Amino acid sequence: MTDVNQRDIGKAMINAAALVLVLSYALPYVYLLMTSLKPAADVQQIPPHFFPESISFENFREVLVNSTLPHAFANSLIVAVLTTILSLILALPAAYVATQYRRKLTVVFLLFALVTRMVPAVSLGVPLFQLLKSLGLLDTVPGLVLAHTSTAVPLALLLLAAFFEGIPRDLEEAARMDGCTRFQAFRKIILPVMKSGIAITALFSFIASWNEFLYALLLTSENSKTAPIVIAEYNSVFGLAWGPMTAAAVVYSLPVIAITLALQKQIIGGLTFGAVKG
Amino acid sequence: MAEISLNKINKIYGDNFHAIHDLTFDIKDGEFMVFVGPSGCGKSTALRMIAGLESISSGELRIGGRIVNDVDPKDRDIAMVFQSYALYPHKTVRENIAFPLLMAGLDKAEIAARVEAAARTLELTPHLDRKPAHLSGGQRQRVAMGRAIVRQPAAFLMDEPLSNLDAKLRVQMRAEIASLQRNLKVTTIYVTHDQVEAMTMGDRVAVLKGGVLQQVDTPQNLYSRPVNMFVAAFIGSPSMNLYEATLDGTELKLGSNTFNIPASVFAQRPSLNGAIRRHLVVGIRPEHMNDATLHPASAEIKAHVKLVEALGSEAMVHLVIDAPWIDAGDPDAASDIGHERTAVARFSPKSSVRADDNARVAIAAEELHFFDPQTRKSLW
Ligand SMILES: Nc1ncnc2c1ncn2[C@@H]1O[C@H](COP(=O)(O)OP(=O)(O)OP(=O)(O)O)[C@@H](O)[C@H]1O
Ligand SMILES: [Mg+2]
Repeated sequence: MTDVNQRDIGKAMINAAALVLVLSYALPYVYLLMTSLKPAADVQQIPPHFFPESISFENFREVLVNSTLPHAFANSLIVAVLTTILSLILALPAAYVATQYRRKLTVVFLLFALVTRMVPAVSLGVPLFQLLKSLGLLDTVPGLVLAHTSTAVPLALLLLAAFFEGIPRDLEEAARMDGCTRFQAFRKIILPVMKSGIAITALFSFIASWNEFLYALLLTSENSKTAPIVIAEYNSVFGLAWGPMTAAAVVYSLPVIAITLALQKQIIGGLTFGAVKG
Repeated sequence: MAEISLNKINKIYGDNFHAIHDLTFDIKDGEFMVFVGPSGCGKSTALRMIAGLESISSGELRIGGRIVNDVDPKDRDIAMVFQSYALYPHKTVRENIAFPLLMAGLDKAEIAARVEAAARTLELTPHLDRKPAHLSGGQRQRVAMGRAIVRQPAAFLMDEPLSNLDAKLRVQMRAEIASLQRNLKVTTIYVTHDQVEAMTMGDRVAVLKGGVLQQVDTPQNLYSRPVNMFVAAFIGSPSMNLYEATLDGTELKLGSNTFNIPASVFAQRPSLNGAIRRHLVVGIRPEHMNDATLHPASAEIKAHVKLVEALGSEAMVHLVIDAPWIDAGDPDAASDIGHERTAVARFSPKSSVRADDNARVAIAAEELHFFDPQTRKSLW
C-alpha cells in the first residue's frame, strides 16, 4: 500500500467518525421534524415509525392559525431582540474598559459578573418576581427584557472581555494620534475590529433569551407569554397534543438556525480571532 | 512643523515608580532626534508623554512654543509610528492612510490626492486596496509611515519602528526613513535601543539610562567626547574597553604595562596635568588597538589572545589584559563581551595572531579616554 492510499483511508475514517457524531447530534431533531410532518392520526401510532407514511402540514396549520402561538412567537422575538440590544449596549463599554484599562478594581468587577451567573436562576427568579411586581412590570415585555438582560449582561461581559483581550492597546492609541477622541477611537476603530466578537455575543444573548423558560414561566402569564411556555402547554391536563407540539417546536427552532447560518462567517471569524493582529 | 522643548519633565507611574527624572532638552524645528538607551531606560515613556498618551507628572512640555501638558493627543498635531505598526486590520491600506485626513475633516478629493502621493513616495501604490493582514512586514511598516506622513504634522514620533523587521530590511528602511525625514524636514523623535541606528540616523542623539538623561549631542561628539563611562561604552560597537590605571606625570600604568601619554591628550584634558599616582579609569576603543607587529606605535602593551573572530574585512581579537576590568553598567554591552572579562580589539585582517598567543598590542594613545573612578564622569 502506498502512503497516499493510507492517507486517503485515514481521511475517510475521520470523515466517517465525524458523520456519526453529527448524526447522533442531529437525530433527535430529525425525529422531531419527521413527527411534525405526520398526519394527526399517525403521530401516536404504535409501534412508532421514524419516517412519516404520508406528509401533512396539518400540525403546522393548527399551531400557526388556530392558537396563541403566533402571538407568543412575536413576544419571544421582541424580548430576545431587545435583550440582545440592551445587554450589548451595557456590556460593550464595560468589557472594553475592564480589559484595556486593567486595574485591580476591574478584575474584581469581572469576577463579580461571573459570580452572578453561578447563583441558580430559580433563586433569582423569586426576588425578580417581587421586584417586577412592585414596578408594575409583571407580565409585560419590558419586565421580561429586564429579567433576561440581568442574566445576559454577565455572559456578554465575559465573552466580550475575552474578545477585547485580543485587541492590541496600540490600536486605540494610534486612532487617538490620528485625531480621534477616546470615544471616537472606540466607535470608529475598536468596534469594527470587534465585529466578529460582537456577532457571537449577540447570537449567544439572543439564543439565551429565546430559549429561556424559567423566568418566562414565573414572570409572565397572559399578555407577554413567550413561545416556550406555549409549547409546554400543549402537554396539559387535557392531554398531550404531540403533533402540534412538535410542529411548534420546529417553527420555534427556525429563527435560531437562520441566524446562525446568516452569521456563519462572523462566527468562524470570531473563532479564529487571534488573527486580528498586524 | 515645530520645535519641541522639555523642561524638567518627570514621570512617576501609578505604582510610585519614578520612570523619568528631570528630562530637559530642546529639539529644533526639523531636527531628527534619537532617544537611545538600554531596555527599560524610559525611552518609550518619554516619547509617550510627548505624544500625550501618558500623563506628565511634573515639568513643562512645549510644542511649537505652546505648553501642551494637558492637551489631548489629537490636538497636539503629532503623528506616531508604533513598534507594532498598529494598522487598522479592518481597513485597506488606502483607508488606513486616509484615516487621519478623514478625522481632520479634509474633503474627498484632497484626501485621495494626498493618499496617492504618500503611496507613491512609499512605493505602496500597487497595494492600496489590500488589507494589512496580506502585506509583508516591510510593507506594513511603510503603511504605518504613510499614515504618519500624509498629515504633514508638526512632528513625527517613532517608537522602535524597525525592530520587527529582519536585519537586511532594517538597514534599508533605516536609510529610507532618514532620507524621507530630510526631504520632509519635519521634526522627528525616533526611539531605538540600537546604537548603530541612533548614530546613523540622528542629527542629535539623547542617551538615557535609568530614566536619567546622560548626554544629548551629535553622533560624532557622543563618540569622541562622551560625558561618562556609560555613554562611552554604549556608543560604539564593539564597546569601549574600560580598565583601572594609574597616571603618574605622563606615564600611564595599565597592569604590568607602562606607556607615555602624548602631550595632545593633556592639552585636551587639562585636569590630567601634573597627576601624581592618580587612579583613574582608562577607556580604549577597539579600533584604537592594533597588532603591533604590523602597525608599530609608541604605546604598546602585552596581552593574551583569548579568541580571534575573523570577519574578513577585520578581525575581532578578544584580549586578556592584566589590569582590573571595569563594568560600564550597560547590560547590552555586558552581553557583547560575555562573562569573560576580555577587551575587544579590532585588528587588521592581515594580523596573524591566533588564540592563546601572547600578542603585542599597539595603542593609539592620543585617542584614549579617561574617567574618574568615583563619579564615572569623563576627565577633561
Ligand atoms: N504603565 C506602567 N506602569 C508602571 N511602570 C511602567 C509602566 N510603563 C513602563 N513602566 C516602567 O518604566 C520603565 C521605563 O519603561 P519604558 O517602556 O519607557 O522603557 P523603554 O526604554 O522604552 O524600554 P524598551 O527598550 O524595552 O522598550 C520600565 O522600568 C518600566 O517597567
Ligand atoms: Mg520601549
